[in-house]
Amino acid sequence: MTKSLALIVTSSPTANITHTAYKLIEQAINNNITISGVFFYQDGVLNASKFLSVPSDELQLTALWKALHQEHSIPLHLCATAAEKRGLINPAEETQLLHHEFTLSGLGELVMLTSQADRLVQL
Amino acid sequence: MSVKSKTVAIVNTKAPFAKTIAKEALDVALIYGSYEQETSLFFQGDGVYQLISGQQPEIINVKNFLKTFSAFEFYDLEKVYICQQSLADRNIKADFHIGNVNVITTHEFSRLLHQHDVLLTF
Repeated sequence: MTKSLALIVTSSPTANITHTAYKLIEQAINNNITISGVFFYQDGVLNASKFLSVPSDELQLTALWKALHQEHSIPLHLCATAAEKRGLINPAEETQLLHHEFTLSGLGELVMLTSQADRLVQL
Repeated sequence: MSVKSKTVAIVNTKAPFAKTIAKEALDVALIYGSYEQETSLFFQGDGVYQLISGQQPEIINVKNFLKTFSAFEFYDLEKVYICQQSLADRNIKADFHIGNVNVITTHEFSRLLHQHDVLLTF
């Protein structure tokens, strides 16, 4: 049985598969599986943007990610290079359009998660 | 830095230049390699287009990241597997821009993938 799980999320917050990734984590927690962390890569980094404005009657995925961090202390890592490419951070002006629950990391963190978790799932 | 080693398979399924997926897969592979994780590269489907020699992405203003493929050995990415059927389906001859690659059958491709702890598909 899998005891600890790490996830890599590569899809944008507009993709339903990103919600599937969230649901997977939710179910894992319900089954006492430790989530060692979530790593957002490619368009997945857009999940961390403060400037997402989703109509109020639609799924608020970013709020779910934030709650995951707040209630279960699950690290939410963001590939810094991918985030910079997509305009989420401006190193020159030290501005970030990220919710503070997300942590800027390098791809090395993905290697760490892979190494530490019993299983890595990509969605 | 010492980390517990897992065998990682990076599966490349997309052509190189339409989107940035192939480049992002390469970045991930190089990182796993530089952390001394046992990493293999697999190419199947349209991913085999990444291995065609003589491509000139500069013409369409794309940086030629395929040149980095020749540094695989430097990053300890020594195992490169290519799906024979994917080449045949696209009428591509086995004339690649890097050496030391293994063209293998679909069955063998599947068997080798199953030997890895982690699969990441791009």
